[in-house]
Amino acid sequence: LTGGVAVLPAPQNLTVLSINMKHLLMWNPVAQPREPVLYSVEYQGEYESLYMSHIWIPSSRCSPTNSLECDVTDDITATVPYNFRVRALLGSQTSAWSTLERPFNRNSTVLMAPRMEVTEHGLHLVVKLEDPGPQFEFLVVYWRREPGATEHVKVVKSRDTPVHIETMEPGAMYCVKAQAWVKAIGRHSTFSQTQCVEMQGEPL
Amino acid sequence: AVPCVSGGLPKPTNITFLSINMKNVLHWNPPEGLRGVEVTYTVQYFIYGQKQWLGASECRSISRTYCDLSAETSDYEHQYYAKVKAIWETKCSEWAETRRFYPFLETQVGPPKVALTAGEKSISIVLTAPKKWQRHPNDDTVSMQQIYSSLKYNVFLYNTKSRRMWSQCIANSTLELSWLEPNTLYCVHVESFVPGPPRLTLPSQKQCISTLEDQMSALKV
Amino acid sequence: EFRFGPCRVEGVVLSELWEAFWAVKNTLQTQDNITSVQLLKPQVLQDVSDAESCYLVHSLLKFYLNTVFKNYHNKIAKVKILKSFSSLANNFIVIVSKLQPSKEKDMLSISERAHRRFLLFRRTFKQMGTEAALVKAVGEVDILLTWMQKFYQL
Repeated sequence: LTGGVAVLPAPQNLTVLSINMKHLLMWNPVAQPREPVLYSVEYQGEYESLYMSHIWIPSSRCSPTNSLECDVTDDITATVPYNFRVRALLGSQTSAWSTLERPFNRNSTVLMAPRMEVTEHGLHLVVKLEDPGPQFEFLVVYWRREPGATEHVKVVKSRDTPVHIETMEPGAMYCVKAQAWVKAIGRHSTFSQTQCVEMQGEPL
Repeated sequence: AVPCVSGGLPKPTNITFLSINMKNVLHWNPPEGLRGVEVTYTVQYFIYGQKQWLGASECRSISRTYCDLSAETSDYEHQYYAKVKAIWETKCSEWAETRRFYPFLETQVGPPKVALTAGEKSISIVLTAPKKWQRHPNDDTVSMQQIYSSLKYNVFLYNTKSRRMWSQCIANSTLELSWLEPNTLYCVHVESFVPGPPRLTLPSQKQCISTLEDQMSALKV
Repeated sequence: EFRFGPCRVEGVVLSELWEAFWAVKNTLQTQDNITSVQLLKPQVLQDVSDAESCYLVHSLLKFYLNTVFKNYHNKIAKVKILKSFSSLANNFIVIVSKLQPSKEKDMLSISERAHRRFLLFRRTFKQMGTEAALVKAVGEVDILLTWMQKFYQL
């Protein structure tokens, strides 16, 4: 209480969970027995904090929200530190702002090994890659399964249709692995599991 | 032209440029509420950064609702405005104006010409980049590739027998697909892709071709 | 990555900048009524050598950060514009922070040539009223990005 007036507490423990360039801001609930509490999220990038620290921008998806998390992926569009703040709203009451302890930079996102499906279309090596978003490209590494084989690399962008990698020799076994590559942060994921397929036809 | 009373007519609406391969055509809708009235139109255009509006010589007192401004806006690194007004007898509308139009960023890049040649187990795909709009048919041809050096193609190949598709992104104009299934109908369509601002893509017409019969099985028959 | 002559810039995806500007292009350019003036005129951006490009882009982006975006902010009514500016400005900060224009003596004539181009841009800007110049400068970001794209390697 402040001067006898109930004060709405600010949300606590703001954290960001970021996987595959999808960034989720989360916080603890504000305990209010009877009524649903809403939350409002705002952000500022390095530019705002350096040049105009009074400017905070309402988040695209959570101004307000009744959830305890906010997808801020669309708000983070540069590889710079971003500040976030959240406050609670209950009727006409608003809490103080609670700010993320340390600014978040998308270059810290966790990049998962890509899910990949390798198929042979006759003598063509074709891969279907999951599409985590427009930021992603994939380094597809393939080689013929034989001693001393040379690894070949192809950079592809995922899209709705499977992507042609190479034309192979009949009857040979080829293996493939892939890693995700995000240019915006200059990082790549670990490699996927290796998958091998045998090409149709009689060996040459 | 006989001066008209401005504002006596409602303005044309939805005035916009439709641009494909630098063919820049201004389109508009007739003013509302003038059905059955013999309205004519006059068009002017403006080069951003210059000083005055210029008349479109081919679009003075016309009755159609479009005007090809490709010649006037052919320097695609400039930006332009255009405006049109409706005229009927001694009355005319205020000018209806476009927003700023930047051909280099806004023209839609059409699909390439696709030539397919089939072999026994192969298909050869030759792509010819779309051509930039030409003032006269015998003018030197300029390819959109020359304007957009980073122009790429997404080639989609569909095997009608296995009903499976794959795609390939290529920068050059030929693609040799070997080791395909003989005696099989394949269908191809291609999209042009230019990095930069978001643009509508115009896929090529789907074309199908069958690989030839496998000579070995033909001999066994 | 960007390659402005010897200056390399990674970590900026040009499509994000285009997306940010394209979302507000019509809103911004409609506010600019002085269509007879162009700030980023051909004399500023045409035939810029690779060697000059690093100096010129450094000056232009710093001007946009320190003058244009900063002073235009209090004119912004729509959140959509605020977001687009934030995206552009924060990416411009990344670019400027990674540009290292050479200060070598033998580059003096090149840097001066680039500086004259920038001065031409800034003189046109200053000859206008501040409000009108800010509106025009933000509306010409597509001209700036089109020029920057020439130095972008996919």
